[in-house]
Amino acid sequence: MILELKNIDKSFGEKEVLKGVSFTAEGGKAFGLLGRNGAGKTTSIRILMNVFPANSGEVLVDGKPIDYDKIGIGYLPEERGLYPKKIIIDQLTYFAELKGMSRKDAVKSIDYWLERLGMTEYRNKRLDTLSKGNQQKIQLITALAHDPDIVILDEPFSGLDPVNAMLLKDVVKEQIAKGKIVLFSSHQMSYIEEFCDSIAILNNGVVALHGDLHDIKRDYPRDRLVVRTENSDAIKADFGSACSITESGDLLIQLSSADEKKAVMTRLVENYDVDEVRVFEPSLNDIFVEYAGDAAKED
Amino acid sequence: MKQFGKILKFELKYYFKNKIFVGVTIFLVLAIAAVMFFPRITALFETDDTSDTSTELSVMLVKADEPAQADMVKQAFATAFTDYDVQITDESNDTIKDKITSGDAECAFVMTDATAYTYYVNNLSMYDMNTEIANEVLQQIYQMNAMIGGGMTAEQATNVMNIQITSEVESLGKNQMENYFYTYIMIMALYMVILLYGQMVATNVATEKSSRAMEVLITSAKPTSMMFGKVLASCLAGFIQLVAVFGSALIFYNLNKSYWGDNMIIDSIFNIPPELLVYMLVFFILGFLIYAFMFGAVGSTASKLEDINTSVMPITMLFIIAFFVVMFSMSSGDVDNTIMVVCSYIPFTSPMSMFTRIAMSTVPWYEIAISIAILVGSTVGIGVLSAKIYRVGVLMYGTTPKISNIIKAVWKA
Repeated sequence: MILELKNIDKSFGEKEVLKGVSFTAEGGKAFGLLGRNGAGKTTSIRILMNVFPANSGEVLVDGKPIDYDKIGIGYLPEERGLYPKKIIIDQLTYFAELKGMSRKDAVKSIDYWLERLGMTEYRNKRLDTLSKGNQQKIQLITALAHDPDIVILDEPFSGLDPVNAMLLKDVVKEQIAKGKIVLFSSHQMSYIEEFCDSIAILNNGVVALHGDLHDIKRDYPRDRLVVRTENSDAIKADFGSACSITESGDLLIQLSSADEKKAVMTRLVENYDVDEVRVFEPSLNDIFVEYAGDAAKED
Repeated sequence: MKQFGKILKFELKYYFKNKIFVGVTIFLVLAIAAVMFFPRITALFETDDTSDTSTELSVMLVKADEPAQADMVKQAFATAFTDYDVQITDESNDTIKDKITSGDAECAFVMTDATAYTYYVNNLSMYDMNTEIANEVLQQIYQMNAMIGGGMTAEQATNVMNIQITSEVESLGKNQMENYFYTYIMIMALYMVILLYGQMVATNVATEKSSRAMEVLITSAKPTSMMFGKVLASCLAGFIQLVAVFGSALIFYNLNKSYWGDNMIIDSIFNIPPELLVYMLVFFILGFLIYAFMFGAVGSTASKLEDINTSVMPITMLFIIAFFVVMFSMSSGDVDNTIMVVCSYIPFTSPMSMFTRIAMSTVPWYEIAISIAILVGSTVGIGVLSAKIYRVGVLMYGTTPKISNIIKAVWKA
């Protein structure tokens, strides 16, 4: 299944929020929708979910306009919240029924997810008696219980402890393995980098960068080497001003051109005790700052 | 449609699980029961009391200078004041006063003339009618005496005094007296229910918004389903509550019918003509819906629960004005005045004013039809519009948006 947003324009009053936004997400892969606050991520998601229509542009699934009766969408909004005063099983069943499930199927699926997330003991409790992290797990069930084709997770990891984050990672991987489209929106780049095969960076309502994360990284000039070593002082003395230290404490050597790569690598391995030499690839964080940050400065 | 049913069910459950809602309903039913059983309970005590108190009537003293006059006044008073033991006295005024303050006597009439007296009583009660009765009795005695003095026989004079007028009233339109009470009750019920439930709908929507449950809801269900589901659920809940209250009133009344005797007000309330009951239902439901939609729309524009009260103010004011126009017209007796006629075509006021006119006056059928048609049309229109406002409103956070912004957003959406 391929989900495609094509030339989406949207304005609220005088304010143009989206200007010709297009991106493609594939089933069985995770897609990261990135952007700074106010870049248009939530608006894109809402248009995708048919909360309001776009001024122009299309949402396509496998090349045809999306049929919301057939394509199920699960959504974990960034602003979390359900009914605080209501019994958990009651409200979860309600949300699942609204998504078109029968009552019986809904209860069955919810019980599965409560079990899966270790929340069965809270089944008949009121939501406001739960801790914040547990409330978030309950909210995750509203996004998954009806077995949607497209899962949209907006900042899914915020507020989760490492154990719960682990649990969520497993769930997400499971969803991806089932061939679903998992759409992430997050500011936590490490998670996006871990899961997402392709990304789109939104900036001021425009897609600043879109594509396969691996390809994007490969497209950067491969003219820097990262060296992990115990005797960095000697190497620094040898390479002089081409050397710098990365944040993680490794050596970074700037080459005069990418063609030099092989020669320098050989030189390093032959002359020094080196643990690791590899071509430097920018982190998603670097890429994000470059695309979302720079364009922002132009304003 | 399927979603609408689910929303309706969920929202309705909310009312029936709401302790305040259930509590208020039970309290109202109990209050109605207390009122309806009141005559039976008082009757229970009265039968016990009468045997004791009959021997001890309070004493009323009568003093006059001439014994003949004293005698005549005493006799006349004894028949007029059946719950007093009327006694003649010739003691001094001071002794009489002492007797009254000490409680030996309840009150005293000291005649200074055939047509003048002083009334002594310890504490003058607000409901003390003794002087009025005495005035009438003394007036009659004087008139009798005058007629007898003029040559009539005592019998003739008595006949003149006791002449009875027979009359019959035939109302060709509506009997306002009879209809007044249930019209009043219906208007009051409509007023209470709309304000109460309207506020509940607004709060309900605003709570979903402020708890951000809306974020999930709006992506799961159509705003129209949400709005109509919510409003119809509140309408049903309100209706069930009213049926519980008035139904129990009817049952309790029938249980105690014999104790209520011929109480005209109660009797008229429980004998509403069926066709009026139908009008009552129609105007009640439409009136409820049109306001509930507006309350729901307003609720969706508020970001915080605290904003609700100020946001709903214009609707509440509109409704209260409509209520007072109807109330004043009802008490003035002229329910067909110009304001009422105009109001009975305006959808926001017609549920109350047109119903009042139907109940208390004679309105041609086509006027009723036009009024209902306008009301139905505007209810649907307001319903759809409120669902649109709802869709735009629930996603607007921050300060409560200006009306003009909402209109703009709704127009563009």
